[in-house]
Amino acid sequence: MSDVAEINLEVSDFELKKISEETGIGLSVDELKVVQEYFQKKGRKPTDIELQALGQAWSEHCCYKSSKYYLKKYLFHLKAPQNINVIKEDAGIIEFDKDHAYAVALESHNHPSAIEPYGGAATGIGGILRDVVCMGAQPIALIDPIFFALPTTKSSVIPKSVKHPKFIFSGVVDGIRDYGNRVGIPTIAGMTCFHSGYLGNCLVNVGCVGIVNKKDIIYSKVGNVSDYFVLAGGGTGRDGIHGVTFASKELDDDSATASRSAVQVGDPITKEPLIHACLEANEKKLLTGMKDLGGGGLSCVVGEMALAAGFGAKVQLENVHLKEKDLKPWEIWVSESQERMMMSVREEHLKEVLKIFEKWDVPAVIIGQVIPEKRMELTWKGDKIYDMDLEFVTTGPSYKRPIRPVRINNEHNNYSEPENYEVMIKTIINSLNCASKDWVIRQYDFEVRARTISSSLVGHINNETHADAAVIKPLESSQRGLVFTSDVNPNTVAIDPFWGSAGAVDECVRNIVATGARPHSFADCLNFGNPEKPDKMWEFSQAVQGLAHVAGKIGATFVSGNVSLYNEGPAGACPPTPTILGIGIIDDVDDIITVPFKKEGNLVYLVGKTRDEMAGSVYFNLRSLEGGKVPKVNPYELANASAGLLELANMNKISSCHDISEGGLILALAEMCIGNGIGASIHIKDLLRGDISLFSESNTRWICEVESKDSDAFESNLQAHCTSFALIGTTGGTSLSITHNKRKLADLPISELIKEWQAPLWEIMG
Amino acid sequence: MKPEDINICILRIEGTNNEQEMYDAFKRLGTKPHLVHLNELSSLKPYQCLMIPGGFSAGDYIRAGTIFASRIKSNFMDELNNFIKEGYAVGGICNGFQVLVELGLLPGNPKGNGTITACLSRNDSARFECRHSILKHVSSKKCVFTSLLPQNEQLIVPSAHAEGKFLLSGGKKAYEKLEKNGQIIFKYVNYKGETNAPYPWNPNGSPYNIAGICNKRGNVFGMMPHPERSFFSKNEHGYSGKILFESVVKYIGGTF
Repeated sequence: MSDVAEINLEVSDFELKKISEETGIGLSVDELKVVQEYFQKKGRKPTDIELQALGQAWSEHCCYKSSKYYLKKYLFHLKAPQNINVIKEDAGIIEFDKDHAYAVALESHNHPSAIEPYGGAATGIGGILRDVVCMGAQPIALIDPIFFALPTTKSSVIPKSVKHPKFIFSGVVDGIRDYGNRVGIPTIAGMTCFHSGYLGNCLVNVGCVGIVNKKDIIYSKVGNVSDYFVLAGGGTGRDGIHGVTFASKELDDDSATASRSAVQVGDPITKEPLIHACLEANEKKLLTGMKDLGGGGLSCVVGEMALAAGFGAKVQLENVHLKEKDLKPWEIWVSESQERMMMSVREEHLKEVLKIFEKWDVPAVIIGQVIPEKRMELTWKGDKIYDMDLEFVTTGPSYKRPIRPVRINNEHNNYSEPENYEVMIKTIINSLNCASKDWVIRQYDFEVRARTISSSLVGHINNETHADAAVIKPLESSQRGLVFTSDVNPNTVAIDPFWGSAGAVDECVRNIVATGARPHSFADCLNFGNPEKPDKMWEFSQAVQGLAHVAGKIGATFVSGNVSLYNEGPAGACPPTPTILGIGIIDDVDDIITVPFKKEGNLVYLVGKTRDEMAGSVYFNLRSLEGGKVPKVNPYELANASAGLLELANMNKISSCHDISEGGLILALAEMCIGNGIGASIHIKDLLRGDISLFSESNTRWICEVESKDSDAFESNLQAHCTSFALIGTTGGTSLSITHNKRKLADLPISELIKEWQAPLWEIMG
Repeated sequence: MKPEDINICILRIEGTNNEQEMYDAFKRLGTKPHLVHLNELSSLKPYQCLMIPGGFSAGDYIRAGTIFASRIKSNFMDELNNFIKEGYAVGGICNGFQVLVELGLLPGNPKGNGTITACLSRNDSARFECRHSILKHVSSKKCVFTSLLPQNEQLIVPSAHAEGKFLLSGGKKAYEKLEKNGQIIFKYVNYKGETNAPYPWNPNGSPYNIAGICNKRGNVFGMMPHPERSFFSKNEHGYSGKILFESVVKYIGGTF
């Protein structure tokens, strides 16, 4: 037993705290006292491996102890008829058509990416792919929303232990590219957002969607007593030890060196055949359950799979195949080494399963068996080293942490109109959050699998503009398509977490509808600061309510997600960032609507109401203005407008469509002109000041291009849906000209817009 | 042969990841494609066509295609040479093109001794790039993969690679010879159809804008962009990536 140590918990609070720190398990003194009591009843001391397992299972990352109270109260009860199995598993399962379903997962890999951007981002993809594969689904799309401080940040303002945002940004993109492209799943959508609050705390969120035949859906639970546990994939090593406990605290000056080993090492060329082998074994009905090894490694997966079926497990730990010798049993048990999957298999199918993995050159070993009692027992070369009740291990604590509301400054400051609108417009188009992201997008293979109908770039070759959403046709035999978008505007969430979060859902819906698809499901990745700080906890609770405010009323709900707290580093907390992945369905991919103007002489409509809601806008940020109102959302207005636009889309009455978001009306118009090089003359008449009209980022708005013969149908349909609209101009010419209440504000050649919009990231990143 | 009797071997190892779309392309034409892992391939006899799909075979951690090529060499190189000699078709897309070049099968040399005379080198931009390319069919010679596509016809085909710059040993003369032999099949062009269009039309900096070539006989063919990904996107004359698959199926059907 020299490989395993007993730990004495019969000590003072001070000593308990020390134990938690020295072993790296990250439990509080109160939590350790619960453990102490449990082992007092057992009449023995815990072993190091038992304590480590509890540290994993009770971490914020694994048991959502600070967040589950709010998630249950506001989000989990929302229902939609298309949901098949949501929230409970590694990925949500939603109906695609009569015979098929799709699987959705979204996660963060923030802390690892801040320490080691390339490996952190790459293994983020690895993990999310496994979450989809373990449902029996074939991954078909990756979605990567990523958030950084400005790559132009001066080195002098960067704390000593923080890596330069340009280095992190470029490393993260490299990691996503090298893993995603190698594993052969298209990185089809995402967002890249810059904000000074991400200094030292970049956010790397990653989503994956898969398609599965309904009869092949498999869950993360074992079948029956005496099923065998088969561990397949890469060897277990020292990489990724304490990944979840590291993700459940703030980063500090020592994190870079102390926690380097918490970042795993990715290997897409082990993953690619692993996916094939797992799916093959599942389709042949040889498995009773499957789950990926993610946070907490073996310590989480075995117990969760057994307990989900009401059983327990017995594991012979020495059977686990290793990357390196001399790992301690507790290290094997909690290691988060990548590219591993756990399957439960009935005895009669063992041989065949192992043969499939052999064919694919993927190692697979039997490590244990299901037992009838809800208990976990581990042996190490014959010695019992772990014996705990599974319900005790996996239930974990739950907290309703104190909150402190933060006063929101709505006061309207006086500010002047821009002296020169053309200069202002170019400044907006040229700003990093508005400018083209093709430097990022083109590094990802968004066409692999040959199911991409429309990527994030649309329009004339090499002058493409941004798409609202990407479209994939998952099945050979069906024209039905899935539509993907990911959205959040941290600027507005930081000012007002409720309305900012509601706005993120609104934006997802807008993007899906603009593509001609109906909203079908959402996933959320909630990136916030330290929940032990009442103001940060308040931000979280407000955000969750904001999401629920919209999601419950438009026929699609949250089906999967992830909470990432403690996103704080030496330079402060990140802005609260509830990243939303929106998924839509379109019946025939030939009917999608894209952003670029299609032809000269068409009408241009503004759909929705522009309001004086300037807080958090790109315009205010560029002018360093504060205060003002944050854009709000009326979910009924959103539902009505969406229904109207979708009816028009079905009747083929919309030639092109773009939602209005960051950068306001002007950026949306510019992007529509850029794609096909077709200009527009815009004449806006309203009661607002010119800058508010052009640069407000009010929600629930779109621009539509409509042929003049269809204008009656267009207008009467929107009227019938109680949706306001205005005819604001016509397409044509080689420039974008803007008149506001008869005052000419700008006339900008498209060629100049293209230059301003395309250049910034290439100039900075090379 | 009828299409339903044509057996196509789509060869894969770990990291090849474009095999399903290649499979679908041939399946749609009524032939019998087979996804075959190199570990399972015992003979080429059952097949009339060998396709090497795109991807990152074995990770491409050394020069693209070399690991896959050396595993083919040590397993069944003689059989593959005979296969080609008998006139059967061999095609490689993207990583598959890189493998055929690393095998010395493209552009091939008169002695047929497998000497490597070309390579697909790192893109001038030094990065992986995914963008649509316009390809002009510049050859008049009947490459078995493009025989149904009229000369000078242009197709829009996605490119997605980091190593696609086609370099040929022997300098200008060697390129001229390739051109004269009609072995240059596709060139990158712009909307105007200019075969000297610069980056980004030519995404990798290939001299003479070369995007795809064949051997002298025309039955071994490789290209960097992905016709299987533009199977349905027709140009104004109704041609799409589909035409390459139709051409080779027609060739096999008429020859064997």
